[in-house]
Amino acid sequence: MNFSKLLLPALLATTLFSCDLTNSATDSSLETPETYEFNRDGESSVSFTGQTARIKMATELFGAMSDFDNSTEELLLQMYRNQTADGGDADPYSDPALNTETKSVKSKVAASTDYFSANSAISAEIKAQFEEWISGQINEVFPNENQLAEQGVAGQIADGSSTRYVNGKGFEYDQLLAKSLNGALIADQILNNYLSTSVLDAGTNRTDNDNRVLDGESNYTTMEHKWDEAYGYLYGTSQNPANPTPTVGDDDIFVNKYLGSVEADEDFAGIAQDVFDAFALGRAAIVEGEYDIRDQQAQIIREKISTVIAVRAVYYLQSGKIILEQENPDYGAAFHDLSEGYGFVYSLQFTRVSNTEGPYLTKAEVDGFLAQLTEGDGLWEVSPETLDQISQDIAANFDFTVEEAAN
Amino acid sequence: MKKAVLSLLATLILWGCTDSTPTGPDVDDFDREAILVNWADNLISPALTHFASLTEELNTAASTFSEDPTQQNLDALRDEWLVSYKAWQHVSMFEMGEAMQLRYRDNLNIYPTDTVEIRNNIEEGSYNLELPSLNNSQGFPALDYLLYGLADSDTDLLSFYTTDVHADAYKAYLTDLTLRIDTLTDTVLEAWTTDFRNDFVSNSGNGANSSLDMMVNDYIFYYEKALRAGKIGIPAGVFSGSSLSSHVEGFYSGEFSKELFLESLDAAQNFFRGTHFATNETGESLQSYLLFLDTMKDGESLVSLINNQFALARQEAEGLDNNFANQVETDNEKMFTTYDELQKNVVYLKVDMLQALNINVDYVDSDGD
Repeated sequence: MNFSKLLLPALLATTLFSCDLTNSATDSSLETPETYEFNRDGESSVSFTGQTARIKMATELFGAMSDFDNSTEELLLQMYRNQTADGGDADPYSDPALNTETKSVKSKVAASTDYFSANSAISAEIKAQFEEWISGQINEVFPNENQLAEQGVAGQIADGSSTRYVNGKGFEYDQLLAKSLNGALIADQILNNYLSTSVLDAGTNRTDNDNRVLDGESNYTTMEHKWDEAYGYLYGTSQNPANPTPTVGDDDIFVNKYLGSVEADEDFAGIAQDVFDAFALGRAAIVEGEYDIRDQQAQIIREKISTVIAVRAVYYLQSGKIILEQENPDYGAAFHDLSEGYGFVYSLQFTRVSNTEGPYLTKAEVDGFLAQLTEGDGLWEVSPETLDQISQDIAANFDFTVEEAAN
Repeated sequence: MKKAVLSLLATLILWGCTDSTPTGPDVDDFDREAILVNWADNLISPALTHFASLTEELNTAASTFSEDPTQQNLDALRDEWLVSYKAWQHVSMFEMGEAMQLRYRDNLNIYPTDTVEIRNNIEEGSYNLELPSLNNSQGFPALDYLLYGLADSDTDLLSFYTTDVHADAYKAYLTDLTLRIDTLTDTVLEAWTTDFRNDFVSNSGNGANSSLDMMVNDYIFYYEKALRAGKIGIPAGVFSGSSLSSHVEGFYSGEFSKELFLESLDAAQNFFRGTHFATNETGESLQSYLLFLDTMKDGESLVSLINNQFALARQEAEGLDNNFANQVETDNEKMFTTYDELQKNVVYLKVDMLQALNINVDYVDSDGD
């Protein structure tokens, strides 16, 4: 292999890259707002209540998956669908406000305009995948609550002083579900739906925005609202949604959390501010009708959020690998990391390469990785070499190395 | 051309990383195996042998009590519990090999114990103590509850073992717990007196998988998590922001938390100094290794700093209430002061000592999810 041929373009790309996607707009006096506060006639024009609700629904669902005493398959499926099995109104949540909602998690899984509007079979397949994990938890893991897990047998396994509950292949269904939602719900909705020109500029959105035509009784234009909805999937449960970066990482269990984790890795420090700045500048650009600037910011967000997912995928695969390489592996700890890793790998199919129509890794590539993790007895058998190979294959599609992600 | 650019880049990258190790004795010039032999033969094996004899007596005392649940037999069982719990403080840190595989410490000493689960186990009568989810309903803390915490008076407590509708189940659970402690301990001791001892001593190189590196990591992990955090920091609320007096060691007996803590602090310092179990003799150790290297920090001997710090922490702890739960509730500041003194040795041991010995930390705090 010609090493320099591979390395040089990578180096060049890294160098050029940072000049390509800066936030400083070149042809405008627009400045990046310090907070995400936008007003019209003295009233806020920002709204993302539906996104906040879905993050909370997904969080309750995740918690209920390990509630052995109270959860049933019916309840968990209702939390996913916010409907009864025959389509009636359901009230499955402990938060009464969520029970009044008609929105659901399931309706927005694999549901972006760009990736799934003309891809309904795959969308349905992915939506159903989450129900399979829910059913597996109830039908395979719950009955074995008081069994010791072993190869081919679901049950409990120690992870340090914690107890994990895994299926026969060593996977935790609650982790598969929660970590996969990072891609299938959050990233897909942000990157491939609300930040897309197909959504932002749909119908008469541009002329309405130019002419300040508001969305019904609301205080926002449709385009403004679409952008805010993207923002809400990342910052919708932030302690201070107008200025969310100081607490990023602490505000949900989905992409916000992992943006915080990646920010804490010095190889990626600054990414949280970059993402926030792009959202804030993009929103300001919409107010000013500066659509090129808006779209530049969307590209930055696509690249950064995709990177967060990929870094965490590699991070967890490497964490699990390091444990499995030890003389007496703490299998529970490894399985926990690898279950999280599985979800982030799954999420990669929903990433988005800037200025293109597609993800960093296709569904077929992702399915190939996942098949290697689940083959045979799954995590009981997976080799460190396989985990390394998948890590390298992922990192090769991004501007970071396995080492940078793993530390 | 490409090659030239590449090597230039490589040069630039490497340039900033030139090692500037000061001259002096080399870490590899010390006989590491001598430390391992001292640990294995003069600290670990004798401490485990001593502990194993006590866990056997504990189990016998529990059987005697369960056959005849009198006040006298309860008192005798409580005595055996305390003396073995103190001896445990001298072996808890050796979570290597078989002990690591068994997750020995998690089975013997997770507190607070889960009293609801203990009662469920007893009343339902079916339980598998090997399950990780039952770690917090067995071991010394569960015995603490069964021997002191079931009722306010001894008379009422004894009734659980005599007239209670589940009396037989209480007695069975009690002896199941003491038997498990004894059996696990025999398994760990057995490994140290056979093959594992020799593997441990002969693995005397350096690097992450060498015995010295692994033992030192286990030791510092124990000091940081089980001793500093578990016994002092968590009940004081250092991590949670609010104090948790029910999280002290020996909560139900209520008068031994300081005694247990001081025992563990002595054990931790003995390990550092290479003090032979139950004697004042010392052998090759982390202390002698650091003295050989003449490791200094800010102009002072690191060995002196560490030993002084053990003394300062001990001095603070001796001023605490016998019952740390009382201390937390009446004057938690003193718990914080003790914690701070313990914390200083985390830095000396984990940063300064490991740097001097060229050992890497092999554990990280989990990201908590």
